[in-house]
Amino acid sequence: MHDHVSRSRDACYVLAVVRTPAYPAVYVRGTAARRLFPEVSVIRHDVIVLGAGLAGMRAAIEAKRRGVDVAVISKLHPTRSHSGAAEGGINAALGNATEDSSDSHAFDTIKGSDYLGDQDAIEVFAREAPNDIYELEHMGAVFTRAADGKLAQRPFGAAGAPRTVYSADITGHVLIHVLYEQLIKHDVKVYEEFFATQVVVDEGRCAGVIAWDTKSGGLHAIEANHVILATGGVGRMYYGTTNAFACTGDGMSLAWRAGVPLKDMEFLQFHPTTLKSNGVLITEGCRGEGGYLRNKDGDRFMVGDAPNAMELASRDVVSRAEWKEIADGRGVDGCVMLDLTHLGWKKIKSRLPGSRELAIDYAGVDPIETPIPVRPGAHYMMGGVDCDLWGETMVPGLWAAGEVACVSIHGANRLGGNSLMETIVFGRRAGQAAAERVLEQGDTGARIEPGVLADEDRRIAGILNNDQGERPGALREELAKTMYDKAGVFRTEEALAECQATVHDLRERAQTLRLDDHGSVFNTDLTNALELLSLLECADCLVTSALARKESRGAHSRLDHTERDDETWLKHTLNWCDDGEVRLDYRPVTITKHQPLARSY
Amino acid sequence: MQERYAYYPGCLASLSQKELDSSTRAIAQKLDIELVEMPSVTCCGAGDIHEAKPDYYLHISARILGQAEQMGCETILSICNVCTLNLRQANKALQEDAALLNRINDNLKEVGAATYQGGVDIRHLLWEVSEGNGYEAFKSIAVKSLEGLKVAPFYGCQILRPSKILGFENPDNPQSLERLIEACGAEPIDYPAKVKCCGFPIVLAREDVALGELVQPLEQAVEAGADVIVTPCPLCHLSLDAWQRKAADFAGKEFGIPILHLAQLLGAAAGIEESEFKFKRHVTRLSPEVKAKLQVPSAIGTEA
Amino acid sequence: MTEIKNAHLTTLKGAYDTELMEATLRIRRWDPDTQRARFDTFTVTVPVTASVLDALDAIKDTHDGTLAYRKSCRMAVCGSCGMRIDGGAALACKTPMKKFVDAGHTITVSPMGNLPVIKDLVVDMAPFWEKIRAVKPYLDTKDEEVPDTEWRVAPEHGDMIHKESLCILCGCCVSECNSMESDPDFLGPAALAKAYRFVGDTRDTDTRERLRDLNGAHGIWDCTRCYFCNQRCPKGVDPRDAIAKLGAESFKEGFVRDEGARHAKVFVDSTFKGGYLRETELVPKTIGPVNAVKDIPFALQLARAGKVPNPLSPHKAKDNDEVKRLWKLLEKEAKGAERPRAQHPDAVREG
Repeated sequence: MHDHVSRSRDACYVLAVVRTPAYPAVYVRGTAARRLFPEVSVIRHDVIVLGAGLAGMRAAIEAKRRGVDVAVISKLHPTRSHSGAAEGGINAALGNATEDSSDSHAFDTIKGSDYLGDQDAIEVFAREAPNDIYELEHMGAVFTRAADGKLAQRPFGAAGAPRTVYSADITGHVLIHVLYEQLIKHDVKVYEEFFATQVVVDEGRCAGVIAWDTKSGGLHAIEANHVILATGGVGRMYYGTTNAFACTGDGMSLAWRAGVPLKDMEFLQFHPTTLKSNGVLITEGCRGEGGYLRNKDGDRFMVGDAPNAMELASRDVVSRAEWKEIADGRGVDGCVMLDLTHLGWKKIKSRLPGSRELAIDYAGVDPIETPIPVRPGAHYMMGGVDCDLWGETMVPGLWAAGEVACVSIHGANRLGGNSLMETIVFGRRAGQAAAERVLEQGDTGARIEPGVLADEDRRIAGILNNDQGERPGALREELAKTMYDKAGVFRTEEALAECQATVHDLRERAQTLRLDDHGSVFNTDLTNALELLSLLECADCLVTSALARKESRGAHSRLDHTERDDETWLKHTLNWCDDGEVRLDYRPVTITKHQPLARSY
Repeated sequence: MQERYAYYPGCLASLSQKELDSSTRAIAQKLDIELVEMPSVTCCGAGDIHEAKPDYYLHISARILGQAEQMGCETILSICNVCTLNLRQANKALQEDAALLNRINDNLKEVGAATYQGGVDIRHLLWEVSEGNGYEAFKSIAVKSLEGLKVAPFYGCQILRPSKILGFENPDNPQSLERLIEACGAEPIDYPAKVKCCGFPIVLAREDVALGELVQPLEQAVEAGADVIVTPCPLCHLSLDAWQRKAADFAGKEFGIPILHLAQLLGAAAGIEESEFKFKRHVTRLSPEVKAKLQVPSAIGTEA
Repeated sequence: MTEIKNAHLTTLKGAYDTELMEATLRIRRWDPDTQRARFDTFTVTVPVTASVLDALDAIKDTHDGTLAYRKSCRMAVCGSCGMRIDGGAALACKTPMKKFVDAGHTITVSPMGNLPVIKDLVVDMAPFWEKIRAVKPYLDTKDEEVPDTEWRVAPEHGDMIHKESLCILCGCCVSECNSMESDPDFLGPAALAKAYRFVGDTRDTDTRERLRDLNGAHGIWDCTRCYFCNQRCPKGVDPRDAIAKLGAESFKEGFVRDEGARHAKVFVDSTFKGGYLRETELVPKTIGPVNAVKDIPFALQLARAGKVPNPLSPHKAKDNDEVKRLWKLLEKEAKGAERPRAQHPDAVREG
């Protein structure tokens, strides 16, 4: 009868699968489970961290250090997470290169956010950053050093002082590996290649996660007192994106469905320098080291929009300038040219070797000799799961940190180098806060009831066994092109409305996705389909919020409302989930020291 | 191919694999190549000195390269994979790092040894005769067509990888030995393990692991119907030849396949005196049938 | 509706324009349910800039959704998509399809070697992760007082582990490791390169213990020097070079008991005494006199073929005194050399 039994060493809810087309499931719990599967007991942890990128790993390490039972669930092996693709660097006001202060870092961040960032959170962020850098270095992070052996710091976009600590142009890689090493050192348990399908809320409290074991198949209920979401961004909504295939907004969707509103979803940052062939990121560090942006006539066109900062203006400013050059016909084959040829081979080989390799591999040019054709690509979601500056959401027991979260540190636009720092500061804070809560409160009593697991199993089985309708890949491509064409760097009412209609149509069609693979073992046809559903929900939130916000601020640029309107719009957008529909709401921004000023570079 | 090389036979060709040295000198003579003796050189280090005392390895390499340079030779001719990789690897480091070369030269000067200015290249005999004018030259002296002889080429590792140091041919699908086998009139046999490791570097320290590697080319070549295996490396030759019995016991099979040095195969096609080949120095004997296919004089007239 | 200025800016025309080509791939499938292998050949239409990974995605989206493989970043940093392409491991995302299409060649794609296959191109990486864990892959500054700012590391000291720190744990090196194929317990190139990343880190103070562990069975001296790892690594880590560096560190710290280390020592001693390798010493000095005695039948076999050189008259190079003087000079230099160490910032301030 038990053709395939899915169980873990600590599983109380055992899913016994009988292999028939209807895929019925038998649930056994409690004493019955223990009799049938005596080696099996409850999967329960104090804290679950969902996602094993920088924020997730930092949170888990912090919680483990504080003595609580923490486990990480990740759909990828930790070092495969997208944090590893970050290139340019991580910001902190160390003052190694020049005089600097966390006040200055905070101000640059606030201004960069186009005054939508919450200033109390930003102050904490800037103040705690230096110690977090030193801690990373003590853990063993391999950073580029100045001649005196101190951590080197380079200039980055919209920063008043060079405060970006870096490792050549592979900073994310270095950081993800040092945290993975610490994960091993602290012997943190990882449920690797588990795809979370639901965050369970039991009588208003978060009770844990239901996840599909990709390697052998089958759903598991993993209970916890606290769940920290650290699932990253959602760039794959867009066709041209720097993001990995895995960045599909799963955590945002899970939180939204669990009753937490998403915040500021219309603010999606386009990175100015991405490759046309596959969206791959060419780091801002190239411009930080002195690179220029030229149009087809060889002109440095940034002089028009940012005469002082030029190529190192804020990313939204640069992306808009580029998009305009290309759309107005001054581009080269749909791109502008990132010119590094004057930097010399020595600087390129020592400071930007990764970028050189990417340009050679994916654009077919050697930047030592030839400028790199680049264009804006979807890069970072400033918005995300609404939470406070400890990562706590309004659902007790549910937390968020990193790109998935919206504290908000970045407001309407993020500075380069701040995202890596955010993962560390707020990953640590969420891990600390959740651990402290465990030590104070203990068992919250929230549980994942068998009926909940059964319902989820039916839902997943429905998707798994479906062989009618369209393939997920086709819908994913349609979504991505629609978003890039109609909800990109420049937006209008008309385009956004069309986009929203398409997104709603796609959500409808995605109710019936045709899978080729109905098996249990390593079924990425299934996980692709689940990811598509997350992408569509996040896209709906983004487009709905963008339609509503009738102003231009930061990365959200409306051609029909070109000015920033603080009187009406100095507020955060909230998206509630009303039975799968997006409901808009708003909340004020926290301002402490800095009243909004006109923003120019 | 050049007219004049500094000749670096390496330790094995000078000692246990003397037959390689005699065969090489014979074929060089037929090709009209002058081999300039280097009486004062040491072992190249075989990768072991590189591992144990890397700085010392760079010094002895610079000394060897410096001696060739001072004899007015632009190219060292090697006949061993390991010598080729080790000398080329050191050469690259010395040519690319002026500060390193200066420091080493200062030390060499202090002990009265030849210093090195960076102007020497190291090339294996295999490279010199498998393409260009060298290939033409060999074809013109390959008077005997070894028709009917099936030869399995065994490249081994260190003449192919890493290609950024060696760079002569595609390491995944090399063809230089095949071209030469065909030029000899013989039939090249293809098999996957021709580019894998014979295990020699660890055959003493980790014999079982080495034998697990060594059985692969032996098994595959025999199964594919080869009469002989030819290799450009005396260390691979020692593994395949002298350790063949041990490999056979390890695999529980019989192999009985003789192993030729490259120079011996080339020499047979060039009609060189059998005495130069010193086949008696092989542990795995050449059968009369194989000798007949190699058309060596002692086999002619013998029943096949 | 009023005309919006610059409404044309919303959409970049031609953003998706690209030249296309037809690519054919032959893929080794592994069915976990039937435990059978088979080969499937697919032809797909992809952009000319497509990588092997892009071709796999096209196959999965439009031809056969059951095809299983790992992927994520598509820019050669995450290490997910290691697989054998025409028999040699590489990252699918870093391998362009165009050169194969231009040559009219159908590539064969199969899973990485030396690891169990779960399904199609997906291997079980658990043995790989275990070996990484086995080398204690995290910094240990032991009892050193943790500074309040950063350790001071000279740039040239940081460079010592530059290549090893590039490793993305993709497994391409392990896939082709000849030693591991023969001995699955060999730590392997990835774990050993990772080990050197810490041995060579000037902040780490656990050097001796690390080297002690790496000098045991299945460690440093099990590497067969096939250089497949250096050749296949997509990031230029050069694991074999890292293993050689571990050997050098072992010698510096006096870990010379392993047969592999003893073997290397014979080369060092021979060369600097006489110039050429003393082959007759190689066997007993490597495997020890007892094992050498056991191997006498084998030695006799070699002796019959004349392969045992006269032990009493080792082959000496001319001008060998030069080499002996060089040895003395280098030994003197080496004695003075101290292991590079990171500086505590307090020490710098005081000094």
